[in-house]
Amino acid sequence: MSDSSAASEFSGPTEPSAATKQPKEPESQAQAATASSGPPKRSLASRLATRSAGGVLRVFLILTALFWLTPAVGLLVSSFREPEDMTASGWWTVLSKPADLTTRAYSTLLENDEITDALLNTVWITVPSTLGVVVIGAMAGYAFAWMDFKGRDWWFVAVVAMLVVPIQIALIPLARLFGDIGVFGTIGGPILFHIGFGLPFAVFLLRNFFAEIPRELLEAARLDGAGEVRLFFTVVMPLAGPALASLAIFQFLWVWNDLLVALVFTTTDSQPLTVALIRETRAFSQNIETLAPGAFLSLVIPLAVFFAFQRQFVSGVMAGAVK
Amino acid sequence: MRTTLRTRRAALAIVAVGALALSGCGDDKKSEDKPGGGKDTGAAETVELPKLDGQTLEVSAVWSGPEEKNFKAVLAEFEKRTGAKVNYLSTGDNTATVLGTRIEGGKPPNVSFLPQVGVLQQFAERGWVKPLGPEAIKQLDKNFSKGWKELGAYEGKQYGVYAKAANKSLVWYNTEGFETAGISEPPADWKGFVETAQTLSDAGWPAVSIGGQDGWTLTDWFENIYLSQAGPEKYDQLAKHEIKWTDPSVKQALTTLAELWGKDDLIAGGAEGALRTEFPKSVTQTFSGDTPAAMVFEGDFVAANINADTDAKLGEDADVFKFPAVGAESPVVSAGDVATILKDGEGSQALITFLASKDAAEIWVAQGGVLSPNKSVDMAKYKDGITREIAQALLDAGDDFRFDMSDQAPAAFGGTKGQGMWKGLQDFLKNPSDVEGLQQQLESAAAKAYKG
Amino acid sequence: MSTPAVSAGAAGAAGGPPAKPRKSVLGTRPWVVVLFLLPALVMLGALVVYPIGYSVWRSLYDETGDGFVGLGNYGDVFSDDATFTALKNTAIWVAVAPALVTGLGLIFAVLTERVRWQTAFKMIIFMPMAISMLAAGIIFRLVYEADPDQGVANAVVVGVHDTFVESTAYPKANAPNWSDMEGPRAKGPYTTKSTVSAGDPVLLPLVGIPPDKVPGDPGPAKAAEASGEEITGTVWLDFQKGGGGEKGAVDAAERALPGVKVEAVKDGSVVASTTSGDDGTFALPKEAEGAQLRLPASNFGAAYNGLDWLGPTLVTPAVIGAYAWMWAGFAMVLIAAGLAGVDRNLLEAARVDGANEWQVFRKVTVPLLAPVLVVVFVTLMINVMKIFDLVYVIAPEPVQDDANVLALQLYLVAFGPRADYGLGSAIAIVLFILVLPVMIINIRRLRKERRL
Repeated sequence: MSDSSAASEFSGPTEPSAATKQPKEPESQAQAATASSGPPKRSLASRLATRSAGGVLRVFLILTALFWLTPAVGLLVSSFREPEDMTASGWWTVLSKPADLTTRAYSTLLENDEITDALLNTVWITVPSTLGVVVIGAMAGYAFAWMDFKGRDWWFVAVVAMLVVPIQIALIPLARLFGDIGVFGTIGGPILFHIGFGLPFAVFLLRNFFAEIPRELLEAARLDGAGEVRLFFTVVMPLAGPALASLAIFQFLWVWNDLLVALVFTTTDSQPLTVALIRETRAFSQNIETLAPGAFLSLVIPLAVFFAFQRQFVSGVMAGAVK
Repeated sequence: MRTTLRTRRAALAIVAVGALALSGCGDDKKSEDKPGGGKDTGAAETVELPKLDGQTLEVSAVWSGPEEKNFKAVLAEFEKRTGAKVNYLSTGDNTATVLGTRIEGGKPPNVSFLPQVGVLQQFAERGWVKPLGPEAIKQLDKNFSKGWKELGAYEGKQYGVYAKAANKSLVWYNTEGFETAGISEPPADWKGFVETAQTLSDAGWPAVSIGGQDGWTLTDWFENIYLSQAGPEKYDQLAKHEIKWTDPSVKQALTTLAELWGKDDLIAGGAEGALRTEFPKSVTQTFSGDTPAAMVFEGDFVAANINADTDAKLGEDADVFKFPAVGAESPVVSAGDVATILKDGEGSQALITFLASKDAAEIWVAQGGVLSPNKSVDMAKYKDGITREIAQALLDAGDDFRFDMSDQAPAAFGGTKGQGMWKGLQDFLKNPSDVEGLQQQLESAAAKAYKG
Repeated sequence: MSTPAVSAGAAGAAGGPPAKPRKSVLGTRPWVVVLFLLPALVMLGALVVYPIGYSVWRSLYDETGDGFVGLGNYGDVFSDDATFTALKNTAIWVAVAPALVTGLGLIFAVLTERVRWQTAFKMIIFMPMAISMLAAGIIFRLVYEADPDQGVANAVVVGVHDTFVESTAYPKANAPNWSDMEGPRAKGPYTTKSTVSAGDPVLLPLVGIPPDKVPGDPGPAKAAEASGEEITGTVWLDFQKGGGGEKGAVDAAERALPGVKVEAVKDGSVVASTTSGDDGTFALPKEAEGAQLRLPASNFGAAYNGLDWLGPTLVTPAVIGAYAWMWAGFAMVLIAAGLAGVDRNLLEAARVDGANEWQVFRKVTVPLLAPVLVVVFVTLMINVMKIFDLVYVIAPEPVQDDANVLALQLYLVAFGPRADYGLGSAIAIVLFILVLPVMIINIRRLRKERRL
């Protein structure tokens, strides 16, 4: 299975991930449509109307895009201003005198141990939970796809049923359970939690992906003497690269951006960036000098992932949005 | 596990930053080089501690950052004297959850600082805290006044040591504002206070800055007025809900409060603006900006905030006076952190004995930004003059001080966003004419919370 | 009806041949099955299934877990004020947000369909999906800041407002209590108590403006001279830096307040009016004899400061706005994908039949898109039921209760100071029950499509 065909697994006819491919497709389709069946002789008036309507549309879209960007630009610009300026005048005033920008808020932020520790905690929480979900989910997904055991389909239905279970239901029971086994207040808490709640989606996604692997391929490998375990690691996993990537990106984002789980299960020593920042929001206008660069720091990595892996990103986010 | 963390949290966040700033100026290099306070190492030891070599203890509190560092200086001295190792666990915002789950899981820290009286009582009731041993009691008797001791007791047994306190009966003012308005003497009574505010407002200064977005600052206003006006006995009764909130004394206190809150032009930003102002902002908008306010009311921790977030110099640009007397005497409302034993043992008892001692308190106050209710502390050990004065005022109150009422009340009434006292007084700031409506509202909320 | 989670995986299956019963490749030994499945099943059992059971059980007990209360906690969901507000707000969210976001997504998807640079546009709209709700919350706290010098929303509102309404000359100036005037404090109008007569200059002192910050930096005030014909007087700032000066008299160091409108009022109607000059003096014709003078409110009204976005009434719409900003991209991308699959010939056929673009959109496009719209709508609905972060971050404390939603209330009740695990569990179960129908529908649908 080649890379591109794997990608198409996520862009079926009604499949969202087509988004990134769309720029070409719908347009060419639309053009084709007009070319083939478009009325050959439109009146001048109607053509003019269409054109001016197009102008209005363009302006509207540009304004909408600017409108959409404004809030985020506000944060970005604010994060590059002196704290005193921030309370004195709006961030938009800087647009006329960009010389006032400074990176001081960032250097202060990065000298703040609490924030840097929290950033590291975010990484230490995110990486294991992502790996855990991918590995455990892939194993189970493979078992559901290619292994024979009693009640297989019912087990799978049960796992899929867990897809929409709200995470809120587990907060109280797991606070107790984690207290009992001594992981409460460590990064172990959120890691376990995110693995648990990431699994139903992972199993579902990967099982359906694995099920499409041609049987002959596996049989051939098996005839070559590969054991079930080796088969999984040397044949199945490499084939599933794109699906694993989408899953990993979704899980990564989910954990990186999580606030609630970390808020409940971590203490000052183990808190990730989101929790460290929420403490600062209590005195919002006061702490904006920490919050603006801090929030930007927390969103720059997801954004980088967004731009680097657009296709997998969109399909991952779309597919997992139900959480 | 009910705790009223909000008050502490906000205050602590600031103290944490402030302590850094405090230690950032002056002679702090010395104390940094020698944790435990340079001068104290040679001082005579006033407390005997057992040898605890090889033992490991855990102590938890809400502090982090610089506050944690200050406290660790105290722990370092304990480690040096006993040979035990002490780990510090910062529970952050999560005290209730952290301790609750640790206790249920059977692994509580040896010693834990609880942020409120109400929590101590609740824990005692559930048998989660262990009584203090004779050694600790001996230190307690020697160093603490009866009032502070009783706050750490429940049903006749002593469970806690108030090793750290806060004085919440202070008004901080912008000296430039007082000069501009031609006020030479800070007001001593409530009438003078309201007049001063009026004069300041006439001079074009927003007179009083109120951090109404944090409900606890508003309850502190009420508590100070009520304590001074109705007296300590009534205060205790109301705190225990032995008298109703519909009592005439409450009405009188609220009416008094409305003399200030009812005049929108005396409040920085008006009542609406005040409700959008968080506690830290209420301080910074008094000591910085284009149109600073003239006065802001809150506890000793304001100093930390002034140092951290403004350019104002304590004693020069910013000064402080006692909350004006509404009745016969100025009130002293306090708050504090109480050290308790969650897991009994020789080490736990030794640590809490040490925390109750003069030695520990002196090391702690020398770090700056900390008040100790320990009366044996040599005042000279305080790091700066203003903190020293505030500490003195707290000790001078003897047993007439009262603990923050909202911290004594059940959390649902005294310490929850959008509920009980916090919500009630926020509504009152919005609409200060409706005294009786507020009394009804508070009474029905209290009735529910105290019963449950 | 399926959710995107389902359709994603479904697409995997749909791409290939219809699923046929799969046999394991050359028989799998049981221990291998266990090896592959056990980690996932243990995790799911301990972290997902067990909590559901525990929550059901726990929801039947009181806050300490000792007393059995039956369905009492579920009753509290409806009778506890804060929880019931949360329930109502969740209902508002579910009613408004999914429809709003789906609508926006549909509009964007349809409008961008034929635009050449649609990739860039879609990227911009979709980008907020990448960031955390916390970051989005911070972004919108900044947008909604009340101060028009900080929050862009109010900057726009105030900008628009001030284009149409003129601002006042001396906002918040006050008639001092020693003046002859009375009126609403810091608002005006201020009216003299006595009547005026020619030959007796009127003094109209004002205060409440910092002497060193009087707008326009006017010169010193001059006491008006008596004139036989006209009514004369002075409007000035009766306060000088550092206090001092005689109250109610025009002192040398006191500033004039030029440009203040002065009206003479007799029996409720204005008989004459004028404006104070550069030295603060004014003169009124003799018709004003025996009238009262009034300084109308138009001189003093406080500057318009925009909307209270995060106040009790607007906070939920404001947070929903932030949510729409985040999720419109999600709806747009899904709908655009659906749109790409729509048969162009159907649209063209409608156009040929004489339908205009709006009719084509309404009668053909939307019905064809219905399945996608349902998927988007349902996904958003589930998502919105569990909304927590945005509300927690954006709503300031005093209005948290007004903006409360179920998921937030669960957190506050269980992990806040109330520590009521019983009620918290009940809320969790309510949330779970709300999403159950979707779970069941999903499974039935998938089984029908033989993907399970």
